[in-house]
Amino acid sequence: MRLFDWRSLAVSSLMVWALTAGAETRPQYGGVLHIAMRAAPASLDPADGAQPDSFARRSLTMLIYDTLVTTDENLRVQPSLATSWQASQDNQRWEFRMRRGVKFHDGTPLTAEIAAASLRAANPSWSVSANAESLVVERASADPELLAELALPRNAIAKRNPQSAPSGTGAFHVVDWQPGTKLSLAAEENNWRGRPFLDAIEIEMGRSFRDQMTALELGKADLVEVAPDQTHRASQEGRRIGNSRPVELVVLVFARDVASSDEKLLREALAWSVERTSMRNVLLQGAGQPAASILPNWMSGYGFVFPTDADLPRARHAREQVRAIPIWTIGYDGNDPVARLLAERIALNAKDAGLSLQPTASAAAADLRVVRIPLASLNPSIALADVARLAGATAGKESGSVEDLYASEQAILATQRMIPLFHLPVSYAASATLRNWSLRSDGRRDLAGAWLEVGKPTISKP
Amino acid sequence: MSFRRKLLAVFALTVFLSVAAVALLVLAVTRNAFEKAEDQRTAALVTQFQREFSRRGDDVARRVAAIAASEPVGRMANTLHGTSADSAEYFDLARQMAEGYQLDFLEFLDGHGTIISSAQWPAKFGYPDTGFESLSASSGPSAFLKREELQDSTALGLFAVRATRIGEHPVYVVGGRQLDKNFLTGLDLPADTRVLLYQNRSDHFSADSLLDPSASGNGAGVARPADKFAHLIEAVQQYNQEMSGIVSWSSDQSDDEVFHAIPLRGMGKDRPLLAILLVGNSRRSYVELKRRIRASALLAGGSGIILAILLSSWVAARVTRPVVQLARAAQDVAAGNWDTRVEVSGGDEVGQLADSFNRMTAELLAQRERLVQTERVAAWRELARRLAHELKNPLFPLQLTVENLMRARTQSPEQFDEVFRESSSTLLAEISNLKAIIGRFSEFSKMPHPQLQPVQMNEILRGIVKLYQAQLQAPGRAPIACKLELDENLGAIAADPDLLHRALSNLVLNAMDAMPNGGTLTLRTRHDNGKMILEVADTGSGLTPEECERIFTPYYTSKQHGTGLGLAIVQSVVSDHGGRISVHSEPGRGTTFAIELPDNTDTLQKTRA
Repeated sequence: MRLFDWRSLAVSSLMVWALTAGAETRPQYGGVLHIAMRAAPASLDPADGAQPDSFARRSLTMLIYDTLVTTDENLRVQPSLATSWQASQDNQRWEFRMRRGVKFHDGTPLTAEIAAASLRAANPSWSVSANAESLVVERASADPELLAELALPRNAIAKRNPQSAPSGTGAFHVVDWQPGTKLSLAAEENNWRGRPFLDAIEIEMGRSFRDQMTALELGKADLVEVAPDQTHRASQEGRRIGNSRPVELVVLVFARDVASSDEKLLREALAWSVERTSMRNVLLQGAGQPAASILPNWMSGYGFVFPTDADLPRARHAREQVRAIPIWTIGYDGNDPVARLLAERIALNAKDAGLSLQPTASAAAADLRVVRIPLASLNPSIALADVARLAGATAGKESGSVEDLYASEQAILATQRMIPLFHLPVSYAASATLRNWSLRSDGRRDLAGAWLEVGKPTISKP
Repeated sequence: MSFRRKLLAVFALTVFLSVAAVALLVLAVTRNAFEKAEDQRTAALVTQFQREFSRRGDDVARRVAAIAASEPVGRMANTLHGTSADSAEYFDLARQMAEGYQLDFLEFLDGHGTIISSAQWPAKFGYPDTGFESLSASSGPSAFLKREELQDSTALGLFAVRATRIGEHPVYVVGGRQLDKNFLTGLDLPADTRVLLYQNRSDHFSADSLLDPSASGNGAGVARPADKFAHLIEAVQQYNQEMSGIVSWSSDQSDDEVFHAIPLRGMGKDRPLLAILLVGNSRRSYVELKRRIRASALLAGGSGIILAILLSSWVAARVTRPVVQLARAAQDVAAGNWDTRVEVSGGDEVGQLADSFNRMTAELLAQRERLVQTERVAAWRELARRLAHELKNPLFPLQLTVENLMRARTQSPEQFDEVFRESSSTLLAEISNLKAIIGRFSEFSKMPHPQLQPVQMNEILRGIVKLYQAQLQAPGRAPIACKLELDENLGAIAADPDLLHRALSNLVLNAMDAMPNGGTLTLRTRHDNGKMILEVADTGSGLTPEECERIFTPYYTSKQHGTGLGLAIVQSVVSDHGGRISVHSEPGRGTTFAIELPDNTDTLQKTRA
């Protein structure tokens, strides 16, 4: 098996979705963009691992901060805060030359020391140091994926201040921050990339999908998230919907490792009992793809190998080999109606197989949970490792070949710590006045070139 | 207990029982009347609840009918047209319409009973609905009760079914409202009435299955554990019919509630018992009213009893006064006062009794007088007979002697002197005999009154034995042995020693006369219960019972030459000392005279004082 051709996939797929209905109209400066999101992060620090990961948070991070490098839709590494880089022969030592003239929002010039401190905070296991205008990253072993890793939003460069929120070098700076509730951003006039068209962005956090759609309908929001099961309906209703590739993994994650052969059989029975297709058709209203693999087929190329159809006789056979059937609790996010429906349906399917699952909204104490995991990167190795880490499974060390990737994923799944269910796209709905915004393949919004049509109110610049 | 007290007790008991019976009767009648009224009130409440229940059912049926007739459902039915294959887009329709029509349960089923959309369990799409056959047959106008299976529990609801048909393919709309605390709380019920619902999930009572909307409000009041309903619930489960029962929450009866248990059945042939509705009604007002009535009855009864006791006392006093007088008079009669009279008041039975008593005492007095006179005459006759007999014997020799003197003077003057001397001596002897007879009678009539002094009875007896020792062993007669059985612990008594000596001597002489052929004379003394007992026993021929009866009669004697005064004198002496003499004899085995003398020391001290 040879390495899946990333570039051909990226080129052949719709990676950029630009709503440029008004392409004939010249971009306009000014205006306040109103965004609503379901996630409610309590911190703007990109390296704060305690905050749940989400595409919205990643998008938010990239409005305020920059990374050393970025990747384009074809996974090609592009300079950002680092203008150039050089790796040692063994890919263990990486040296980055920092861009000159970049300043943080608080006026502090970007230096290699600040950047090194930022990366050390995000990756305590790394050895990061500053060498004059260069930044040096040294790894214990060869790390050919370091550039893709550095392009992740969580590795964005932030200048952490003891008394205030971290300061970044992104196109927007923080004006008002009410953790978990509201964030007001203003355009950075002297951004090293140039001033954005938008004057400001107002972000409402912790809003349900329904509230977001209502806000969009009432003109109180310009860009909202759309639940997967509502995407089809919203499109039918004429909404301007943007869908990413399926980059979010919906997965059943067990709270602990398999403890006995009986439990192994029961987890196997549960995996065979799940009717992914009917759930996708009805609960997800056709959105996403049924998945029995961690990585989506478009990313790995081998996803089709993992069967997604339910096999109830096989599930019952596995279950009948176990005498005592425990009652498992299946947890879900109480704020996520789709997750609840999925959990209840899985419980019904499990009941057909003779298993006993009790849905509960208190996911923390549940035996297994319905979890949405945003794939960390378009890089399959990084994405697989990240999922394995979040699910508590151990990822094998692959060399980058698709065979190694497949073997690693097989090993992860063999631990039976997780049962993949679906790969879902990220969907947004935009108002008619929002122009030139794009949705990246990795699910992040790109508002660098977005602008609002005339008529939108403006705010005074700080 | 006196007759008056008995009569009083009988009167009081009679009145008490009468009052108590009346009070109990009043209470029973009152209780029956109130319980009947309570039953009617409960029945009215149950009827009202059933109307309310029916109204809710009609409301559910109207809402379900409106949903079935709505445009979205019609569109869905038209789209599906008998198949649920493309029903995914209607997956959320039930939830939306349930919210719009304010129903707790709403499901859309295709013609095969497959769930197209479910508001209460959205994840159950594509699964067959349990009990679909009975559901499809129940698409009538009225609502029905149904147990709905939910994700992690079951719920009871009031359901209605309507079908929307497009061609041959119906879409069933099954909607309902949950019978939960909100449903029960929302019922329009009278004051002091509450409704609970028991969901019949098993054959045994389970407290978790009881829905009590007022449970949260009982924190500060009386604890109302659900287990109290177990008996009533299980009775309804067993007999499967409406039942009533009183549930006691505390020792205070005013906390009690009457619960009417109504079995709620589901549809289908078996009509399973799905739930039991408990319509509760407080008994506080009834119990308080009953307490007031009981207090009034007790007050009236108590007053009546006290009044009855006072009245009975007065009546008993009036009724028993003549009886008490009669009793006292009878006691006087018994004491010898035979001329006692009682006052005769009225002509009733008591008056007749008093009159009879007076006549009885008068008759007794007259008879005693007659008896005394008769005895006196008899005594005089006996005395005359004895005198005649005693005097006749000496008079006849006197007569013969005088006649002999007179014949000797005329016929033999020569022998007259000799005859005269002999006759004179005979006359003198007989005259002396007459004097002796007269002296004994005179002596009997002149018995002196005892002169009391301390006397040792044993000493007197020993002196008598010593006096008559020679005669007991006299030659020429059979010897008589004398045996003394004296109680040496005997104390002194107050008596006249001379009179006692004389009386005892008579008894010893009589005993010697009774033993002509010899025998044993026994003298005994002993002490018995404060009295001294003295016995003189012989082993002679004994006395017949007739002789024993008459032996103390004056002038009666069984001896050839006795005067019949010896034992009369002995009895007189003993009687004068306050004692008593008796005789025990058996023919051929001897006779024993027993003298019982009192101590008399008190009398002696009084005399000396």
